[in-house]
Amino acid sequence: MALRRLILGILGVLWLVPVYLLLANASKLPAEFGDYGLWEPGTLAGLWANFAEAFERGKLSGGLLSTATYAIVSPLIAVIVGAAAGFSIVALRLRHGFAWFVVIFASSIFPLQMILMPLFVGYAETGLFNTRIGMILVYTVIAVPFSAFVMRNFFTGIAHQVFEAAVVDGASTLRIFVAIYLPMALPALIAVFILQATFIWNDLLLGLTLTQSAEVRPIITALSALQSTYGGSAMSTVLAGGLLVSLPTVVLFLATQRVFTRGLSLGQF
Amino acid sequence: MTMPTPRQAELQAASRPKNAYRLSSIGFVAPSVLLVAVVLYLPFIWTTYISFTEYNGLGDPTWVGLENYREMFADPEFLTSIRNTLFWVVGTIALPVGLGLLIATLTHGMPRATWFRLPFLIPYAVSGVAVGVIWSFVLQTNGALSQALEFLHLPGSELRWLLDGPLNTFVMIGASTWQGAGVNALLFGIGLQSIPKEPIEAARVDGASGFTLFRTMTWPMLAPLTTVVVGLAIVGSLKTFDVIWGMTKGGPGRVSETLALTMFKETFVNNSYGLGAAVALFLTVVTVLASILYLRRQLADSRGA
Amino acid sequence: MRSRTTTGLALLTGAALALSACSGGDDPEPGDGGSGGGNGDDGSSAEVTLDFFTDKAAWEPSFEDMNTASDGLAPQLSFTGYSDPTAYDAFIKQSFRTDERPDLFTWHTGDRLGELVEQGLVAETTDIWDQAIADGYVSEDLAANYTYDGKQYCVPLNVVYWVIYYNQAVFDEHGLDVPSTWEEFTAVADTLVDAGVVPLHQMNIIFEFVWFQAILAGMDPEAYDGLSDGSVSYTDPTVVEAMETWHQMQSDGYFIDPGVTTDPQTLLQTGETAMAYFGTFFTGQLTDLGMVSGEDYGMFVLPSVDPGLADTPVVVETGPLCVGTDSENEQAALDYSAWWMGTDAQSAWSDSRGDVSFNPNATVTDEALAEITAQVTGDGYQQLRRYLEATPTPIYTVAAEEFGAFVTNNDDPMGHLEAIQAEADAHWADQG
Repeated sequence: MALRRLILGILGVLWLVPVYLLLANASKLPAEFGDYGLWEPGTLAGLWANFAEAFERGKLSGGLLSTATYAIVSPLIAVIVGAAAGFSIVALRLRHGFAWFVVIFASSIFPLQMILMPLFVGYAETGLFNTRIGMILVYTVIAVPFSAFVMRNFFTGIAHQVFEAAVVDGASTLRIFVAIYLPMALPALIAVFILQATFIWNDLLLGLTLTQSAEVRPIITALSALQSTYGGSAMSTVLAGGLLVSLPTVVLFLATQRVFTRGLSLGQF
Repeated sequence: MTMPTPRQAELQAASRPKNAYRLSSIGFVAPSVLLVAVVLYLPFIWTTYISFTEYNGLGDPTWVGLENYREMFADPEFLTSIRNTLFWVVGTIALPVGLGLLIATLTHGMPRATWFRLPFLIPYAVSGVAVGVIWSFVLQTNGALSQALEFLHLPGSELRWLLDGPLNTFVMIGASTWQGAGVNALLFGIGLQSIPKEPIEAARVDGASGFTLFRTMTWPMLAPLTTVVVGLAIVGSLKTFDVIWGMTKGGPGRVSETLALTMFKETFVNNSYGLGAAVALFLTVVTVLASILYLRRQLADSRGA
Repeated sequence: MRSRTTTGLALLTGAALALSACSGGDDPEPGDGGSGGGNGDDGSSAEVTLDFFTDKAAWEPSFEDMNTASDGLAPQLSFTGYSDPTAYDAFIKQSFRTDERPDLFTWHTGDRLGELVEQGLVAETTDIWDQAIADGYVSEDLAANYTYDGKQYCVPLNVVYWVIYYNQAVFDEHGLDVPSTWEEFTAVADTLVDAGVVPLHQMNIIFEFVWFQAILAGMDPEAYDGLSDGSVSYTDPTVVEAMETWHQMQSDGYFIDPGVTTDPQTLLQTGETAMAYFGTFFTGQLTDLGMVSGEDYGMFVLPSVDPGLADTPVVVETGPLCVGTDSENEQAALDYSAWWMGTDAQSAWSDSRGDVSFNPNATVTDEALAEITAQVTGDGYQQLRRYLEATPTPIYTVAAEEFGAFVTNNDDPMGHLEAIQAEADAHWADQG
């Protein structure tokens, strides 16, 4: 146990070094940035000033509500939809299950950058462009393959007798899915949810391409505007902005950590 | 709930009509298939068509047959792209996946594991914009890394991390490891949690411990999640874009370019949508083949289901 | 034929999308645009709000200031900024396939504007230009950047002069004066090198081409121009000589290590680099750091390399403000364009951005910038297009890669020039 702690401690410290650099450099006032070495921390006052500057200049308050909506609703739908696919393939033994699984999973293989333009045209034609519904839809779809993959494999760990026993008890497939499989998969569901929520929160490309007005645009599009070649902000302001925008996702990780430490074992079923 | 013996269950299952769940199984898988078909496959078909045309994003595409593919393979730098992409695949499976497994195994069952796992998860939560800036601080000439090496009297402080290939590819794999290892640890952690305790305990009683216990008991039972992590790593690494675009834009020159970068540059920088689409298609075919090869083997046991 | 296939696919995508998600929800139309755009009288177009798109996302506050300035006189802008220039370009181009055509948007001169003109996607502005030139709002030189087949398209959003910025304290410390000849310039650089100060900033991405541009333009402006239409080869003796000069300057330690990615404004502020060759937009970045023009830093036009040149070349960069053909508020957007070129609008813009203006009557608040503007638009100077806009896109892409590698490795210039010329040969052969 001591050795474990030692290894984890060393790795952990190593992993926190860039985080330290992030904090240290986000807390230097742009005008004084050059006076410090890279490793030297700035001041707390500098950090606040940079936060304020990034918040105001980047108009970070604008996209907050819509981004939160996307980051909560889309992965929530995706995780259920993906789990349903996994349930169908593993528990209901869908015919040609592997082929269908490949169809779902392979859709995540195609590079996102290439989907953007045809998607934009399709969105513009259907009136989904620059709507919250449109954004929720695309973020949901992006998250489905990952969700289906994780859930499918997680369900293979559940003995098929569990399913058969429930059938004997007269439960419908929907009931078995909702009342037995989903609760058992809670840690996996939550993991998929937070990973996808984080991805969506930090997405830039889809947000830039499929939205236009400040109310619909996700927050990262505003943050990245700080960094443009023409009249972009100083690096410390960009860092402070990045830090500020990342706070919700860091809190999300912190808040959900407990779920993973509760030893939910499938062995008991 | 009373648990039927496997034998009873088999009998019951056999007594039911064979396709008892056919309708509901289709119903459960349909939403996923429909969603990806409409939003992801249709644009893919469009791109496939574009790859056989010359198109600058304006006006109408002109049919050129296989010309884009010929041009793609004729470009000597295309090989650099393929080589770098391979570095990324191998590097990603070795580092973020390997470290993720290590972290998950070490923290499993440990009191206050949350706190030990947290440092690895923070990088994933930090937005890409800040990550790019921080790593350019670390890796620039005489930057944070070089300063640290010098301070510790270690060799390497004179290296031009982001300027020389393939060194720049290697250090960028390092940066992406920093971001990705925590996610893999999280997924492995879920796998470890779902492993039944009894067989492990039994093996422990039999005297197995440490690495032997891991190799003979834990590792095989971890397989479903290992497949997920490795599968995602293959796909993710073949498509790597953000880190490279953020740090070197594939340069200097084209030494750190990967297939995803080539695709992006041809399409959006060079305005050759057709050539970019051809690269995208090549990349997709390679990735699909690689993942099917891997997944077929890994998922073989449940394939018939 | 082909277009029908593409549109068909797009429609198919669209139809399916509509099925899988009931559309509706939020109203996709921002602003109150629409009606009234058609009749061009001032009263109605001033009440229109234009959908305005730009890749200069960081300039949003200035465009808001312009909304104050145009209140009651010209349309208001509903601002959408893109930070990623590549995503922006693709978005604008694809938007012409849809109903989401932009009323007003910023673009690039050169090849990229040529493409749009060729497809008839941007509205003609010849009348606006004729009037503006007659009113003395803009020079005919500048019109050349916007002219295709004798007609003008778009109006200038801004103009940028490429000059040398220098750190005043470093110059004072080493007793240096602003150089007026190339010889004096290299003497300044040598003094700095001897004193252990890096004379010049340069980058191996984004602005990797600028020193090629500066040296060749200063050596032989005609050869520099000739590269852009294929009449001069990259392997011609003058071009090779320019590249050799750059090579020598790099060998002499004139430039900062390209691996240093610290903001150029920070490097100039700390004196880590004594000088930086940048467009006049750099003033804004220095102001952000609290540096004061004329006290902490100054600027000068880079002397021509060839002392025999009658007129000193100055590289000018200009970005267009374009009106989409058949956009919802086309006429109002044209009215805005005309207003934009006027003196009041340009004084407001210059004041808000702290930058120069193409309109010589506009008040430029920053003294140093005002001086530079007067200087380069007066006698003894000639304006050249920036390399990025002057070069066809495929050639530029290869050149950027080659110059990036050359800046990084300072290796044999010839190989790089040959690689660029190979692409240029292919390109010009294609053009027939």
